[in-house]
Amino acid sequence: MTSRAWELLTVPLRAARRAGLVWGISLGILIVLTVAFWPPFRDQPELADIVEGMPEPLIEAFGLADFNSPEGFLRGNLYAVLVPLLLAVAGVLLMSGQTASEEDSGRMELYLAQPVTRGSVFVGRAVGVGVWLVVIGLIMLGAQLGSNALFDLEIGTDRIAATIALCVLLGAFHAGLAAFVAGATGRPGLVLAIGLAVAVAGYVAIALFPISEVLEPWRHASPWDWALGGDPLGSATEWWRYVALGAPALVLTAVGTWAFSQRDVSAA
Amino acid sequence: MAIAPEPLVVEGLVKSYGSVRAVRGIDLSVRAGEVFGFVGPNGAGKSTTIRCILDLLRPSAGSIRVLGRDPRHDGAEIRERVAYVPGELRLPERLTPRQFLASIGRLRSGFDRGRVEELAERFKLDLDRRIRSLSSGNRRKVSVLSAFLTDADLLILDEPTGGLDPLMQHEFLRLVRERRAAGATVFLSSHILSEVQSVADRMAVLRAGKIVAQGTVAQIRGRARQRVEIWFETDAPSYLATLAGIGEPEIDGRRFSAVLIGSARPLIDGLAGQPITSILINEPDLEEAFLGLYEDDPAGDGDSTEADR
Repeated sequence: MTSRAWELLTVPLRAARRAGLVWGISLGILIVLTVAFWPPFRDQPELADIVEGMPEPLIEAFGLADFNSPEGFLRGNLYAVLVPLLLAVAGVLLMSGQTASEEDSGRMELYLAQPVTRGSVFVGRAVGVGVWLVVIGLIMLGAQLGSNALFDLEIGTDRIAATIALCVLLGAFHAGLAAFVAGATGRPGLVLAIGLAVAVAGYVAIALFPISEVLEPWRHASPWDWALGGDPLGSATEWWRYVALGAPALVLTAVGTWAFSQRDVSAA
Repeated sequence: MAIAPEPLVVEGLVKSYGSVRAVRGIDLSVRAGEVFGFVGPNGAGKSTTIRCILDLLRPSAGSIRVLGRDPRHDGAEIRERVAYVPGELRLPERLTPRQFLASIGRLRSGFDRGRVEELAERFKLDLDRRIRSLSSGNRRKVSVLSAFLTDADLLILDEPTGGLDPLMQHEFLRLVRERRAAGATVFLSSHILSEVQSVADRMAVLRAGKIVAQGTVAQIRGRARQRVEIWFETDAPSYLATLAGIGEPEIDGRRFSAVLIGSARPLIDGLAGQPITSILINEPDLEEAFLGLYEDDPAGDGDSTEADR
């Protein structure tokens, strides 16, 4: 890697350091605090009975099945809705912050005036965001494994790793979408609107579509279904799920990079 | 160092944003080793032209050659030999000037540390305070340093002295002259006529997206207007109003005021032997200085553009 390419990666890594650490540590704390409630929960089966008494679609929508098993507990409290949603939001915000917001504020201009191509500046930022998403995932993995040990929550490390990897890839998918919109338009408001709308729509599709017979098949159009449709906490994950999220993330970023190279750069 | 005869050639440049034509057909050529002033009021299209030259904007029509190459296709190679000070100053807030300059240096062939210290010293810039806490003048210095630390053959400076105090403006103009003496070509945009006049060899005057005058500074200056006020010990003599180059004369007792167009000589000759108490010749603002030029130009019909957003 040339020193220029390295610098183009270092700039966003440094610029997103605070945001990346805040996301990682916040998610880590969320995980630890949630798992801390496992021992009392496990010892009070009547809590799980309340869930059992809820209507089936509701249990399905919020991922509350088998709530008193370790994987059911983690799924219902963390990995069905909250963690994937937060990672999707993190992906959109981090990418928007390093691309469209930087361009819109005029801070990217001094870098684009250097002897580097526009595409390389944009790719450097996208890769920087990708690195931060991986770091966030590693912090989460550490928090999850550590608190599992601490609070006697027994679940396979491979299942945890696969679940967190899929959530990070869901974040990367939405970051890729953000890169695409940022590259095509350079408008931070639009990047956030589209990125967050797709994240929420994807959740609605897997949570609520199953209730309707007409809409049910369409749940498979949701990135959430690709990530979590195979119940990664409960059973081994098929390899294609990683590709289904990672490949579009890369393609969307590539198309966004190309689009960014074709158009006018916004003035401050 | 082989420099093409004309480091910057712009032909028929047009840039439109939707229905707004910010630049409406610009032709200019900058010669190697000169300081070229690019003068116009705010919103005339200076920044738009410059951002097209740097390939930040894509022209709607026309062609640009920078160091003999097309910025659309050879942008990165061209920028190897071009340095830029943007008009709108946005820098990474959390870095110090030292960190920021090091980062820009790593994207180029590297900045000499001694030279960084030396220029910071000359401009009285604290390299170790965060950019967030710097005044706009100090931010401007950071951006000026980032351009002058390079060994670029062509410096493109968009209103580079905005926010600098007079002492620093003076230091900046010295730096420009040094770089010219070292063989560099400087393209200097400004809305301050006196600044360009003191350092440029040739200049172009831009108005509403078109060039209304281009030539040596002396030629252009000869067409500029200045406002003159003269106080006499007795009533002001009325014949002054009839002198060559005098427009809009006004006599109010002991005070004579007028617009002086071109050479001051007829007026000075005409004043010989008169009991004068004081003379005031104001540096005109650009709008007033080139009122004549604008009036000659059918495009200068007062429609504003959004060029310098």
